[in-house]
Amino acid sequence: MKFLKNLKKGSPGWFLAAAVIIILLLVPTLNIIINLTEEAGDNWEHVKEYLLLNYFHNSLILVLAAGAITAILGASLAWIIAAYDFPGRDFLSWGLILPLAVPPYIGAYVYQGIFNFTGPLQTFLRNQLGISVSQKFFNLMNLRGAIFIYTIFLFPYVFLMTKAFLAKQSASLLESARLLGKSDSKIFLKIILPLARGAVVAGSSLVMMEVLNDYGVVKYFGISTFTTAIFKSWFGMGDLATSVRLAVMAMLVIFVVLFLEKLLRGGRKYSYSTSNIRPISRRKLKGKSKVLAQIFSYGVFLLGFLLPVLQLSYWSILSRGGELVEILSFALKSFLTGGGAAVMILVGAVIVATTARMSSNLISNLLARITILGYSIPGAVIAVGVLIFSLQLDSLWQSLQGFVGLELNFILTNTLAVLFFAYAVRFMGIAFNSVNSGYDKIGESYFEAARTLGKGVTVSFLKVDLPLLKPALMSGFLLVFIEIMKELPLTMILRPFNFDTLATKAFEYASDEMIYRAADLSLVLIIFLAAAVYLITHQKRRKN
Amino acid sequence: MRKLIIVTILFSLVVGLGTASLAAEEVNLYTNRHYDTDEEILENFTEETGIEVNVLKGDSDQLIERMAREGENSAADLLITADAGRLHRARERGILQVVKTETLKQNVPENLKDEDNYWFGLTMRARVIVYADDRVDPAELGGYENLTADQWQGKIVVRSSENIYNQSLLASLISIHGEDWARDWAAGVVDNMARKPQGNDRAQATAVAAGEADLAIMNTYYLGKMINSDNPAEVEVAENVSIHFPDGENGTHINVSGAGVARYAPNKENAVKLLEYLSSESAQEFFAAANYEYPVNPEVEASEMLQSWGNFEAQDINLTELGVHNEKAVRIFNIVGWQ
Repeated sequence: MKFLKNLKKGSPGWFLAAAVIIILLLVPTLNIIINLTEEAGDNWEHVKEYLLLNYFHNSLILVLAAGAITAILGASLAWIIAAYDFPGRDFLSWGLILPLAVPPYIGAYVYQGIFNFTGPLQTFLRNQLGISVSQKFFNLMNLRGAIFIYTIFLFPYVFLMTKAFLAKQSASLLESARLLGKSDSKIFLKIILPLARGAVVAGSSLVMMEVLNDYGVVKYFGISTFTTAIFKSWFGMGDLATSVRLAVMAMLVIFVVLFLEKLLRGGRKYSYSTSNIRPISRRKLKGKSKVLAQIFSYGVFLLGFLLPVLQLSYWSILSRGGELVEILSFALKSFLTGGGAAVMILVGAVIVATTARMSSNLISNLLARITILGYSIPGAVIAVGVLIFSLQLDSLWQSLQGFVGLELNFILTNTLAVLFFAYAVRFMGIAFNSVNSGYDKIGESYFEAARTLGKGVTVSFLKVDLPLLKPALMSGFLLVFIEIMKELPLTMILRPFNFDTLATKAFEYASDEMIYRAADLSLVLIIFLAAAVYLITHQKRRKN
Repeated sequence: MRKLIIVTILFSLVVGLGTASLAAEEVNLYTNRHYDTDEEILENFTEETGIEVNVLKGDSDQLIERMAREGENSAADLLITADAGRLHRARERGILQVVKTETLKQNVPENLKDEDNYWFGLTMRARVIVYADDRVDPAELGGYENLTADQWQGKIVVRSSENIYNQSLLASLISIHGEDWARDWAAGVVDNMARKPQGNDRAQATAVAAGEADLAIMNTYYLGKMINSDNPAEVEVAENVSIHFPDGENGTHINVSGAGVARYAPNKENAVKLLEYLSSESAQEFFAAANYEYPVNPEVEASEMLQSWGNFEAQDINLTELGVHNEKAVRIFNIVGWQ
């Protein structure tokens, strides 16, 4: 027994590497949080008196509504795709992930562009049909509009996770319920939802974090939230202490929501395990229900992907297309940055996840929490935390140089390395989760067998685990890649000179109110990301 | 796949290190402007002087924060950003330095630069009242003070107070009329709003054309952008509204986008050269026209379109005042509930 325990224990090398990574991830956040101890100025009093209630109100509504609606939408679509067969189902099973390829801020510009007075819809009504309708019906720039934007572009998180969960479930539960004469809607509500609850909640908490940290949409729509407030008090009033207080309160919102969910669920745990996993046999839909399922799922696809792409194409034609070569060079740069950074992050995530696996539950849970920390804080806050860290390193380097008497003119702060590091801080959690879920599937017996046969930790990992992890690594790589390609605040604050990506360039044009120029760039970005989505889904399918 | 990954990493490293290494003659520009014509102007500068320009684009406030954090290690030589209030903030953060040259003195009028020469305006815009041609008689408009009249109840649209242009407008009114007057004015405008502040400046003009409101407070150049828009419907909107330059008690609120040399500029001389170049006659015309703005250099004429909008009397204050009163303005907006 003791021998086995020793087998599970990692080597000090792995543990050391993981510890270094974790400390590196923590430093930027600590650099910011440390400001909590600083005395808050009058700004904080002013913010508390006049604004806080409004921020709280808006953020809470956005987060709760987007979280709940994406949960319902994502879960029901996942159920339809997992349990039924109808024409177009195979396409939709990955097509419904595509809305993830549209960055929400671009989606917001697109929908506002479609619905506003000068958009195609109203222009058509006015000029072709001679109808002019009150602007109130077309007003998207409010809380409801923002909820719509978040829901339609972020629900794939829930859809993806729930679908993956349902695919792992044994069919026998479902079949027994059907045999016992329960209707499908009852089965969904009474059996599937309680079972899949963990996956649905995991997906919708990702959505909630995205919504809470989003800046582009709320800024454009003029809605005050915690994130706009953080920007306002920090970059506008130069008051870091106030903005850190706001950032911490924003994180509390998420924690309270997740805690409430747990409380509601009570102690109940639904789990069902069997070694005999057969995929759910899909029932062929006919007649009215076939049409309904198609209208529903294609409708969501239309709103979340096709319509925005068509509108962007139209704008791109209106602006007579940009210079293709220039756009492709941006695309290449985005691709290289995203790809390079994603590989680096994944390597880090593998080291941490492998160490976590060889450690006690307590430590591995702690590691998981720390890696996701960066994802739950607004990007701009992380960016400045990383900037401070890199400046600390630079001054350390300079004093070291002075000590040795060297004169090397190297400043870390203006290099891509800093940006890559910031990406790692922010997205390590996503990569870690992917790797971890890969390990969950593999189990530990292969690894332990290799160890029993006298192989070291590193050799066992390289020869046994790594090949088995490949599908999880691929999907982790592509998820991180997509996130980095869409990323704005980190890139904007930390990039080196003369460095543009598709996302930054598109955002610059859009925020300058030159949406037509932004259209080409957004289209190329979306196509890249859609291709990535296609790759994720199709390599998984081959494996299964 | 593995080869691709290795190549990717190597390439990224080369790009990263490459940007850190130093070229012969260069100047590092932090800017929030991203117009294609800017690239041409900078290329011309390089051709004339042999000085390479490295550009870092970003959001103004974030660039300022980055420079402040970078401190002595900052690579920035010149900071270009919109709004005098922000330029003043940059000065307050201690990231700019005083520059005094004959050329700049000649090219940039006294009221469009910092009192102590920390920053210089390069292009000028006015924050004006845009009205619906078919419903408003411009003779009734007058100055900003008239916007609070009962006549405009539910007729005004304007963007959020988070926007620095609104903050600077209110700061100018604080400077001229005092804080109490400004608070009453802001409260009066809020009472007359047709809807909660939302969208950008273009959206305000569109709301006027759509009949949601009669008046919009917005910057001149946005109308220029709409007139030259790729979308015919937007051009139509621009044709149905007109610009009124507020006169009344105290002229039209003007603002600049401008530049200042970084306090720790590693290439200070080159930064001054670039600043002088941007204010020179040859660059001003294009630099201002890129964003449908007025040139600050008195020797250079505004574009034909801008001239067609007519002349106006500007508020008689030094733009430094916009920065001095910014914080008060932000607080007043919060107090009166201008979202």
